[in-house]
Amino acid sequence: MKRSFIILILSTALLGGCKKYLDVNKDPNNPVDVQEALILAPVEANISDNIFGGNAAINIQYFVQTIAPNQENPGNWSYQLFNSYFDGDWTAFYVSGLNNLRILNDKAEASGKSNYAAIAKILSAYVLGTATDLWGDVPYSQAFQGDKNFTPVYDKQDAIYTSVQDLLAKGIADIEKAGVIVPGGDDYFYNGDMDKWKKLAYTLQARYYMHLTKAPGNTAAAQADKALQALNNAMQSNDDDLKFQYEGINTWGQSFDPVSTAVLSSTFVNKLVTTNDPRLPKLVKKADGTGLYNGRTVGDPVGSLDQYSYPSAWVAGTGAANYIVTYSEALFLKAEATFIKSGAAAAAPIYIQGIQAHFLKLGFDITAAAVTGYINSRSLTANNAIQRIMEEKSIANFLNIENFTDWRRTGYPTIAKVNGAMSDIPRRLLYPESERLSNAQMQQAAKITDKLWWDQ
Amino acid sequence: MRKPSKLIGLIFFVLICQLTMAQNKIVTGKLSDSMGRGIPGATIQEKKTKHFATTNKDGNYEITIANSGVLQVSAVGYEPGEFSTTGKNEVNIVLKQNTVALNEVVVTALGVKRDKRNLTYSTQELKGEVLTNSKEPNLVNAMAGKVSGVQITSSAGTAGASSRIVIRGATSATGDNQALFVIDGVPINNDETATGGAAGAGTNRVSDIDPASIENITVLKGAAATALYGSSGAKGVVMITTKSGGIDKKPAINFSSELSFEKALIPERQTKYGQGINGIFSNGEDQKTSASWGPLMDTLKINGSAAPKYDPWKSFLRKGITTNNSVSVSGGGATSSYFLSYSYYNQQGVVPVNDYKRHSLFAKYNTKIYKNLTSTFQLGYTNSNQTRLPEGWVNGPLFVLMGQPISWNPYPVLNTDGSQRLYRFSRNPPLWSVDNMKNNATVNRFIPVLTFNYTPLSWLTVTERLGADIYTEQNNYYNAPSPALGPADSEDPNASGSVRNANTNFRQFNNDLIINAHKAFNKFDVNLLLGNNIYSNYSQYVTVSGTKLTIADFYNVSSAKDIKGSEAYYQQRKVGFYSQANIEYNKILALSLTGRYDGSSVLAKDKQFYPYGSAALSFIFSELFPKSNSSFMNFGKLRFSYATVGNDGVGAYQLGTPYILASRASGNFPFQGQPGFLLSETLGNSTLKNERLNEYEVGLEAKFLNSRIGFEASYFHRKSTNGIIPGVAISAATGYTGTTVNSASIENKGVEVLVNASPIKSKDFNWDLTVNFSTIHNKVLQLYPGLNQLGRLIVGQPYNIFYGDKYARNASGKLLVDADGHPFADGQGIVGNANPEWLGGMSNSFRYKQFSLDIFFDVKKGGDVWNGVDSYGTFYGTAKATEHRSDFVLDAVSAVDGKANTIVIKAQDYYRNNQLYEAFVQDGTFIKLRTASLTYRLDPSLLKRTIIKTLSFSVTGRNLWIYSPHFTGADPEVSSWGTANGDVGVYAFSSPTSRSINFALKLGF
Repeated sequence: MKRSFIILILSTALLGGCKKYLDVNKDPNNPVDVQEALILAPVEANISDNIFGGNAAINIQYFVQTIAPNQENPGNWSYQLFNSYFDGDWTAFYVSGLNNLRILNDKAEASGKSNYAAIAKILSAYVLGTATDLWGDVPYSQAFQGDKNFTPVYDKQDAIYTSVQDLLAKGIADIEKAGVIVPGGDDYFYNGDMDKWKKLAYTLQARYYMHLTKAPGNTAAAQADKALQALNNAMQSNDDDLKFQYEGINTWGQSFDPVSTAVLSSTFVNKLVTTNDPRLPKLVKKADGTGLYNGRTVGDPVGSLDQYSYPSAWVAGTGAANYIVTYSEALFLKAEATFIKSGAAAAAPIYIQGIQAHFLKLGFDITAAAVTGYINSRSLTANNAIQRIMEEKSIANFLNIENFTDWRRTGYPTIAKVNGAMSDIPRRLLYPESERLSNAQMQQAAKITDKLWWDQ
Repeated sequence: MRKPSKLIGLIFFVLICQLTMAQNKIVTGKLSDSMGRGIPGATIQEKKTKHFATTNKDGNYEITIANSGVLQVSAVGYEPGEFSTTGKNEVNIVLKQNTVALNEVVVTALGVKRDKRNLTYSTQELKGEVLTNSKEPNLVNAMAGKVSGVQITSSAGTAGASSRIVIRGATSATGDNQALFVIDGVPINNDETATGGAAGAGTNRVSDIDPASIENITVLKGAAATALYGSSGAKGVVMITTKSGGIDKKPAINFSSELSFEKALIPERQTKYGQGINGIFSNGEDQKTSASWGPLMDTLKINGSAAPKYDPWKSFLRKGITTNNSVSVSGGGATSSYFLSYSYYNQQGVVPVNDYKRHSLFAKYNTKIYKNLTSTFQLGYTNSNQTRLPEGWVNGPLFVLMGQPISWNPYPVLNTDGSQRLYRFSRNPPLWSVDNMKNNATVNRFIPVLTFNYTPLSWLTVTERLGADIYTEQNNYYNAPSPALGPADSEDPNASGSVRNANTNFRQFNNDLIINAHKAFNKFDVNLLLGNNIYSNYSQYVTVSGTKLTIADFYNVSSAKDIKGSEAYYQQRKVGFYSQANIEYNKILALSLTGRYDGSSVLAKDKQFYPYGSAALSFIFSELFPKSNSSFMNFGKLRFSYATVGNDGVGAYQLGTPYILASRASGNFPFQGQPGFLLSETLGNSTLKNERLNEYEVGLEAKFLNSRIGFEASYFHRKSTNGIIPGVAISAATGYTGTTVNSASIENKGVEVLVNASPIKSKDFNWDLTVNFSTIHNKVLQLYPGLNQLGRLIVGQPYNIFYGDKYARNASGKLLVDADGHPFADGQGIVGNANPEWLGGMSNSFRYKQFSLDIFFDVKKGGDVWNGVDSYGTFYGTAKATEHRSDFVLDAVSAVDGKANTIVIKAQDYYRNNQLYEAFVQDGTFIKLRTASLTYRLDPSLLKRTIIKTLSFSVTGRNLWIYSPHFTGADPEVSSWGTANGDVGVYAFSSPTSRSINFALKLGF
């Protein structure tokens, strides 16, 4: 009895000592908590790098024929796509993007930093809106619960659109709280200028209203009304652009590096050449080897990289910016809405302002003959209004995902499927393989040619 | 005349004697062991004559000898003896059993020596000589093919490249599946390091151990054998016993010197067609393309004369040269002994820049401090250094080289303006890479072990053993700016130039206190063991890297425009309490019970401690045989074991979800002056508990014909449950890409067979044969509920399948083609299995007088390899298959009309349009003549008058013959990306393996 008592005492002491010895599992390498400013900076960089300029965005540029890699068919550019190609995109959208924005918002709300909460909501709306325009039904209402829900269902696209508008409205409301704490350099986009954030929110409201002009249950006129309403408070000048200014080479510059073999597509280059667009040299670089403007046509034999045109240094060079949402876009949205509501004559001046805003951004004197001559040659009529607006919008939105949405909504600018296409021109992206494996949902059967809800 | 008479007298005397001796008699008798059982097949010879007999099956003999002859008796397994027959006609002889021969001592868990006869589980031993004879500097490679149940996969032919060792199949989904290495009772680290800077396999750290300092290794395979090692031994253990001196032994100096030459085994390629596309020539100067779909070289004229061919390999590879010198001194006095050795291994790889150098120093000192207290102190020090180029397709020169057109002259390397000159765009010229990029890793490693043995009572031993494994690695990598890959201010470090210095500090301490009691009474022999283990490891990684280099040929981080630094350290601790009881009854039955209680710092607070144990029984049924049977089967044992082993299976700090320094494609934050953190993409799991491995094993061991033939076979079934998968993929919609789960289950079933035979055994000629065979079938049973696939793991499938794009086929499996006559993809699926069906090895040793010949073959049946070299090679038109370029019709069914395909297609279109993953998964079956070695040992009698005691000379060929009927590369034994789980079976532009010839001289003084 006595002996077992001693053993018990000894082993208790021994195990107690062991427990202390084993207490070394506190992570010295990574912080448990950080302040809002530290989250905002990488979230903004992720949006510019990986959502505006990432893998999904590059594939979109293949579809709208601005980029054609110097590669043999088949490939993504000829619509040979596999679900696994998009695994990384959902990390950018849902993990680095939306989940960190959710945390940023929750933290900011808890600590009363309403401006950070506003930015988190507005950027969430942008990321979620971009996601649904690429994939349609996507997770949101049941998402971001970690191990409490490993298999969030996908919300219908119209519900997602409601969430997007809801986020934007709440973001605007947060800004109106006029919180004293504003971000500084951690806000790469606007350096804490909350007026600009508000204008962005209204511009995005208009963008997402206009996306639904032909969505079932919505009318173009009603969507145009809402958009025009929002545009009253939207961006007022090129200074209001949501852009990411890179000190080094921007993401597009990196995407066009020699190893990727990405070059400009002949579809895009030829369009500017045939319309004698004065912006051609500002946007497109002549081929190094030939001194000619020459895009690549998918399906042609592989050529020398130096016989193709690349984007200009202004678009994709050192110190170039990623233009994510612009004043020009706001004007083209307004022109489209005005055309729907009031006809071509009312829309024309706004349309011209849209073109001029882009010329100004590129450093043109808009009174110069070349510019006015070009604009005159692109006049708007009742018959060509949507086509012209979309053609001009797509140049102003060069390399923007928005061009794919506009093409799906309106069919402009017209494009034909590439040589050697494996299918018709895609109208969406595939759901990631990683999603199919870890969160099986019926929507994942979608093919790239299936149309989204608003694209019926 | 007196003299002659004396002489005659002498002759007469001698004759008488001869006559007397020639008077023969017949002696009969029985030869038996100490228990009175007859010994059959024993040799009985009269001393100094040719009179000779053997015993019959009952041990009886009859021999005709001279009247007073002396009998020399020898029998396998018994100590030989001489017996006088003077005055006897019947001589019954009792021979003592030879304890050395039958009581084979093996080293088991914790370094405890046990009699193999009574072991309750499977082990296999390899002598140090077998390891050194393989001429492999990496101990893991030295074991390849020789141990049943063990699969060794070397990564590449790079000097200093890593190799993977998995015992009895992978049981962990993504965690470490490799065996634990233990030196003289102390675990050592075998991480693959030096992988951070340049792509390609790193070095597995067991290669720091000099095979020449190893006395032998014992492989403990099953969970019952390793249960005492607990967590860390759950994947099998390789026990290394180092060499020692000897008590009262004169100093012995051994010197060995080796020189070997290596020739690369290069894959075949087409050499008929030059650069270009559609048969049209590109000169590679102002017409650049990566394709070799150009014109036939035989008819190609450049400037009116026949176009020359340039063998890409010839311009790049070199002859490998290796020297390996070692010297050792051993000896001892009355109470102490010592062993000292030093080796220097220096290998110049077949690929330029690549070399591997290793200095290893080992010292062991054993002394009796007090009459019942002994101590051993040993210290191993290694300085190893590997230099190599990057491999693979990102920026490795081999990728560019293997696509180099036969028509393109690689010289000059640079254009006249100093820019890189290459046949294609967007890559570095291979010969430029040789001068402008380098990865170097230097490791300094100390492994000290201090052991005390205290024997206060004859039946009680207390062992205290403290050991450590301490190393630092300095990994330096640089690449010069490369305009071919992008501008100088590119965010791509391969384009802008980069320098990276990564320093690793690793230290691991292990302490065991073991109390061992051993007592025999009546027919019982009982051994009880109690022990405690304390373990800790600490690793620190500090990296500084710079990109956008500004100064030519200056590879210090100060040359960089962008400089980033990072640091991380990890600490992990364990404690364990263990006990073991071995109870033997009458040498017939042995029961072994073990129990262990472990605690690990990495698990959830309330789940840190977990118990486990094993039970095993062996039954030596041959003890029950009637004596008459023992001539055929002199030993037979059946063994059964069951073990359940716990394992922590996860690294430190997996319980929480911290914020992580944010990173962009071009590097970590800060970015443009702003610091940044994002929530970890991996959701922590605060409830992590141990994983479990359950295994049962049945074994049969038998010896026949007086141990001339030995046979061992085991069947095992092991299943891991509650398996930890760190960072297992979960839906990104959860907000995380992964989490750590506790739910994986993997099953392995297998059979291992080992046969030893000595078909010929005589004074001058011996033939020894060892054959091993193993087959393992594994199956992933579960990942976590809801997840059926994780990379190469699919529930219900073997571990490490190949998964990827596959061809569309009709219901009967026939290839479908589209309207153009080309095959097409039908989604993704399982297209191969990296697991071999079976593995086998056969070693033959012949010894004739002073010559010996050792030949070792090994076989891998099945086990697919993805041939990435051909995947690119067919596209580029360099693969051997693309040599046949006439138009053809694929044997397929048209997907358009369901009829047999009749559409003629062009070879170039076919190969360039068929980049499906499935097309390049190849059966990796091989038979290898891995080593053949001829040794001459000088007859010691010839050295009597010299100070030299032994002298031998040997010539060894490695990889002399490889038969791989389905693999289109040179050597299917490859895993280009290294030893990680998911890398197995990938062949993609790594350094070629080589064939070598090695000359070795050994001297003993």
